[in-house]
Amino acid sequence: MGVIRAEPARVSDWAAKSVGAAWRSYDLQLTTYAGLLVAIGLVMAYSNSLEGGAATFSRGLMWAAIAVVVFIVATVFDYHWLKTLAWPIYAIQLGLLIATLALGDGVGGSARWISIGPLAFQFSEIAKILMIIVLASYLASREGRLDSPVPIVGACLLVGPPLILVMLQPDLGTSLVFGAILAGMLWMSGASLRWLTALALAVVAMIPIAWTYLLRDYQKARLTDFLDANPDIQGAGFQLHQAQIAVGSGGFFGKGLTNGTQTQGDLLPVQATDFVFATLSEELGFIGAIVLFTLFILLLWRVLVAGWRSRDAFGTLFAGGVASMILFQLIVNIGMVLGVMPITGIPLPFVTHGGASLVSVAAGLGILQSINIRQTRAAW
Amino acid sequence: MTAFLDERPKPVRSLSRFLTFALIVVIGVSGLAARLFYLQIVDGGRLATLAVHNRTVLEAIRSPRGLIYDRYGRPLVTNVPTFVVKLRPSDMTVEQRPVVVDRLAALLGMPAADINATIDGNPGSTFDLVRIASDVDVPTARLISEAGDDLPGVEVDVEARREYADGPLMSQILGYSGPVSGGQLATLKALGYLPDDLIGKAGVEEVYETQLRGTYGSESVEQDASGRRTQVLQTVTPPKPGDSLTLTIDTTDQQQAQKALIWAMKTVGLKRGVVIAMNPQTGEILAMVSLPTYDNNQFAKGISNADYAKLLNNPDKPLLNHAIQEHFPPGSTYKLVTGTGVLADKKITDKTKIQTHPYLTLGSTRFYDWNHMGFGSCTIYCGFGHSSDTFFFQMAGKLGIDRLGYWAKQYGFGQLTGVDLPNEVPGIVPTNQWKQGTLGDQIFPGEVYQAGIGQGYDVVTPLQLINAYATLANGGTVYQPQVVHDIVGPDGTVVRPFAPKVLHKMAVAPNVLRIMRNAARNVVLLRHTYNLVDMPIKIAGKSGTAEFGTRDSKGRLPFHSWFVGFVPKDPKHGSFNNADSQLVVLAFAYDSRTKGNVGTEIVKYFFQLHFGIKHDYRLPNLLHRGNFYQSN
Repeated sequence: MGVIRAEPARVSDWAAKSVGAAWRSYDLQLTTYAGLLVAIGLVMAYSNSLEGGAATFSRGLMWAAIAVVVFIVATVFDYHWLKTLAWPIYAIQLGLLIATLALGDGVGGSARWISIGPLAFQFSEIAKILMIIVLASYLASREGRLDSPVPIVGACLLVGPPLILVMLQPDLGTSLVFGAILAGMLWMSGASLRWLTALALAVVAMIPIAWTYLLRDYQKARLTDFLDANPDIQGAGFQLHQAQIAVGSGGFFGKGLTNGTQTQGDLLPVQATDFVFATLSEELGFIGAIVLFTLFILLLWRVLVAGWRSRDAFGTLFAGGVASMILFQLIVNIGMVLGVMPITGIPLPFVTHGGASLVSVAAGLGILQSINIRQTRAAW
Repeated sequence: MTAFLDERPKPVRSLSRFLTFALIVVIGVSGLAARLFYLQIVDGGRLATLAVHNRTVLEAIRSPRGLIYDRYGRPLVTNVPTFVVKLRPSDMTVEQRPVVVDRLAALLGMPAADINATIDGNPGSTFDLVRIASDVDVPTARLISEAGDDLPGVEVDVEARREYADGPLMSQILGYSGPVSGGQLATLKALGYLPDDLIGKAGVEEVYETQLRGTYGSESVEQDASGRRTQVLQTVTPPKPGDSLTLTIDTTDQQQAQKALIWAMKTVGLKRGVVIAMNPQTGEILAMVSLPTYDNNQFAKGISNADYAKLLNNPDKPLLNHAIQEHFPPGSTYKLVTGTGVLADKKITDKTKIQTHPYLTLGSTRFYDWNHMGFGSCTIYCGFGHSSDTFFFQMAGKLGIDRLGYWAKQYGFGQLTGVDLPNEVPGIVPTNQWKQGTLGDQIFPGEVYQAGIGQGYDVVTPLQLINAYATLANGGTVYQPQVVHDIVGPDGTVVRPFAPKVLHKMAVAPNVLRIMRNAARNVVLLRHTYNLVDMPIKIAGKSGTAEFGTRDSKGRLPFHSWFVGFVPKDPKHGSFNNADSQLVVLAFAYDSRTKGNVGTEIVKYFFQLHFGIKHDYRLPNLLHRGNFYQSN
């Protein structure tokens, strides 16, 4: 179960006294798996940096350092405060997304990044974790009333504004993550199956409307390109085509780190970011990819265990949200590289060196550890 | 502590929900693993082979664009190799883009906002090259091409740019070629156009795009992921160079027409003007000047947004060819239609005398002659020669609006001339049917009068008007005006020789047009056009003063001035009994408001230059402005 003996006495005593934490409940496994995944990401960034300039790797290191700090702070911080602060956090979340729309930079007329000094911050990544906090607190305070449709509709209304703000950027991928988080958390909240089914049917019924009126042509093209048997390999299908060749040519054992001809030969245009899995499976092969999958399964297992052990509904729901987010991004990102999911620009958690994404999941895992170590806290 | 804890209600959580979630995790990841297994193990061999070979792609070889010459073979445009800076958006990470754009902006000396607008307006996908700047000087091009990794996604290409020998002089005829726009690309892609391609965008560059462009070839090249070519392997199909055009335009005539128009515009302070010269026997346009105009070299080099906005916002529309893309009331020049109509319909003969009056009355409205006196009893020669309004009011009354419209159409009004230049407008010939269709009312008798002297609903393009007088001059054949004489293939063989295109022959006896030609000569002989008669060449023609717009405080309207004139084949000794004229010239002055007719002065000056007449017959004292006295 990954329960460890207490850390050196002075530190744990101090921590236990100040925040009422029980450090022996700290889940070292969770931290280990996450750390290994980040390490894999850094190794891939290093492998890529040999070709494309050292900036990729050093920036990856810098973000990893920031993520560690965020993780530690989140662990030490008593998560119970998050319930108290849920509404201000919601306000901050909306503020960040509005600021992004107003001030952000991006590709092709979109507004996704806000540059702070040398760092380009994608607030929608931070907004994801804030959304999980807000939803967990909202649903937790309605525990026992979840067999009525009211809290379900309420949760949908909470997710609505940030989801629309992200869609306006426009960032279809991230807004889908918000949807996945909502679905996962409603599921874990124990909300009545009847109403969840009704909600799911309503969403399905909305799809043709959204397709006709909300999606822009290029978004539709991205969503359907991967279904095309003969994609335009010189145009938008190029990346996808090259990614699959990269993966396929990796074989069982891979070509060895830094030896990928596809990715190193610059045949895959953005190998460092959302297509990092293509580099990994070309250079480390099927074996390397299976190791990555295993780490993700173990990590998700520890996240769910943290949720199960939590003595309050907030902890359970929070874990459910984090697990949904990681699972959805994992499947959509790798599915995209493997040509079975549309191109949506969702990063691979921990591994993609996109900074805000890593900081966001680091905060999530930190809060989970905070939940882990505070299960013996008195009820007052 | 544990005691408190145990009393807390355990949160509601369902093991089944946790297990279902875990199951989804396992199923999802297994699905990915299965797909991965298929790609890497089952299909791996094929993809590994592809990985080695996929660098070869077919790329287009651009064909050299055809050239354009004037009628004597003087080159009007050449293809000049220039450096072009292009950018492939997908090659930059989002963090890099602002940095790259800022550096490019500094290097190229253009606003970063323009570059961003260009990238975001890119018609192709993010994997296609976007043209950022054309005609980049050599040092800048070198700096950018050596920047390499510091400017990811940025490439410097050599591209053939059009260089127009005469710039603004020929802009309205030649047009220009520029980057394909987003809207166009969708339809052009099927024709083999590339997202960063050039296309003819105005003038003959637009109309003859297919011929000028030629056919692109293709070659197989080895390229990296960014699409940068690393090696050319072989030419698959060689490109076929475009055909060249020989225009009907005579550069000397064009220069003289421009000179005459600029002189008048400066002297009077005109804002817009048109001069056209044609050969009435063939429909060939020898000169066509529309001012103000633009410099097509500015477009060929890649016009800045600010300069383009300046052209667009200019109230005198320099981007329009006023000779064909705008229509104006023709004024008294239109009396040609009325005169031809009454003669052809046998309402009068050339001997019939009509009493002209100071004014005619219709109901309570008086329709004045332009001199408020009339010209006594007049034949068509006298009526046309003095441009008597009351004479032509009566003629229009005799014809009726529909016969008047019939004869206008016989002369080619109210329909496109079909000239090989883009965006021509058809003008309006009012008839009962037309007014019912557009304004939902019938034509009133006063409107018939107005139509008979080229006012009211009548509007024509300068090209239609000169083509009508060309028809008069050649004895009744309406030709389609042309600016391209012949098309020559890359090897010098004539692909399409010149052939005059007859639109139709007027349904009129030759005698009627002979009377009208002599009536037009009478305009000059009666000194209606002052000293035109003193020139050592024989000119026949008609002036026009066309009111438009809104009345000033004294009830006076601003007006345009027109003059169309033609000379016999032998300008010194020829006769207007013959229909042998080879030169007809039109001048149009927008909002002229001069004492005398500025159109006449322009045509006069053009004839002086064209025939090398040493003596200067111009009368600049007629060009004082602000005098609203009208002479039709």
